[in-house]
Amino acid sequence: MRIDIFRSTVRVLSLVLPMTWLASSAQSQMRAAARAEAYGLSVSTPAVTQKSPYAVLPVGEAMATDQGQSVSVAGLATAQDLFAIVTGDADAVDGSTAVSTATLGVVNLLNGLITADGVVAVASSTISDNAVNSNTEGSSLGNLVVGGTEVSDPAPNTRMTLPGVGYVLLNEVRTTGDGVTSSGVTVNMIHVVLQQPILGLLGQVIGYKTVGNIIVGSATSSVTR
Amino acid sequence: MVRVRSLALLAAPIGVALVAWSCDPQRSAVAPTIGTPLAHFHVFECTPLKITGGGRIDYPPGTADKNPPASHEYETFGAHVMDNNGDCSPEKGQLEWVDHRPEWNINGSPLNLHSTAITFAEEATDTDCSDGAAHWGGTLLVKNTGEEAEFEVFDCDNGEPGVGHDGFAIRVPAIGYEVMCPDPDLPPAEPACTLTGGNRQFHPTHR
Repeated sequence: MRIDIFRSTVRVLSLVLPMTWLASSAQSQMRAAARAEAYGLSVSTPAVTQKSPYAVLPVGEAMATDQGQSVSVAGLATAQDLFAIVTGDADAVDGSTAVSTATLGVVNLLNGLITADGVVAVASSTISDNAVNSNTEGSSLGNLVVGGTEVSDPAPNTRMTLPGVGYVLLNEVRTTGDGVTSSGVTVNMIHVVLQQPILGLLGQVIGYKTVGNIIVGSATSSVTR
Repeated sequence: MVRVRSLALLAAPIGVALVAWSCDPQRSAVAPTIGTPLAHFHVFECTPLKITGGGRIDYPPGTADKNPPASHEYETFGAHVMDNNGDCSPEKGQLEWVDHRPEWNINGSPLNLHSTAITFAEEATDTDCSDGAAHWGGTLLVKNTGEEAEFEVFDCDNGEPGVGHDGFAIRVPAIGYEVMCPDPDLPPAEPACTLTGGNRQFHPTHR
């Protein structure tokens, strides 16, 4: 009797165990992901929504690109020589990687309030057995002038006020992921937040509301184990 | 029934042998030789491989230090190649390259190279690239002029992170263009120039 029970248990285990291995292997294959996105210029206001050039890594593909010789949004932004390149590979066995770059030549925002000549946004994420990291190394701003002031090599998330307009974030960096099973980063080299004052009953300014965004040179990468 | 079993017993080892044979690396490279003598990237193997990623190089000089942003002395790129069979004939691959240097501004735009076919890929086995290296290439379109030309790249994964470690170099002889760093003192392995941004990731598949 005991031998029968033992044999039955072994039979059941021999059927069930391989199924759990297969399931966990399939789950790990499905989880591995690489995402990459890049764009040169994005303008978002109640009147205009535009993002160009724009490249997103398609699922199962290793690369995508887009480019534009010049982009113009009247009164808000002009830019030349724009390129967006994204690459990536999701591999549950050997590790995953994603890299995005967005580059621009001459940039002019808000009729000369902000100008730059040479914008590079780079986002890179990698995950493997012995490394998990995301960084924005290689990103840079050339000949950047904000409100008549030259700004060189701004630290991440540098904020400058733009009187009557709102504010600008330079080298805006946001990270995602837990650093163990996932990692990601987004860098926006110039992010103008357009604001309008909120007035009180007596006409005094009691706050500001965001009415639009202009983003120049954006790169995002992320990977999941 | 016995005959079917006998046939299966005979066929199984043959099938296993065929699969093993198909995975066995072939030692003869088929890549064209258009390079000058180099200290690395001399010895190649046809073997299954995949290398992916992109980023930025600041050439010249191609070291790990960025040039001043206003100089525009940098290149950005994305590149990948995949050879599953290990026969040096990749099934997939693509290159997008932009040179932002003023001297390479052609017809009003930065030099933009876009691959049209990837015709060879081989593992370079004599480099210092810790995670793997490849020599691959094919034909590309010079988007500024519409010219077609052959190209080759020297691709190096030298650990993580890619910036300051990995390397990449490209030659397009027909238009007299190259971004190569033939200096044995330059890490990780000449003629690959060091990445100042991004990453290269080499996968030795099928092994």
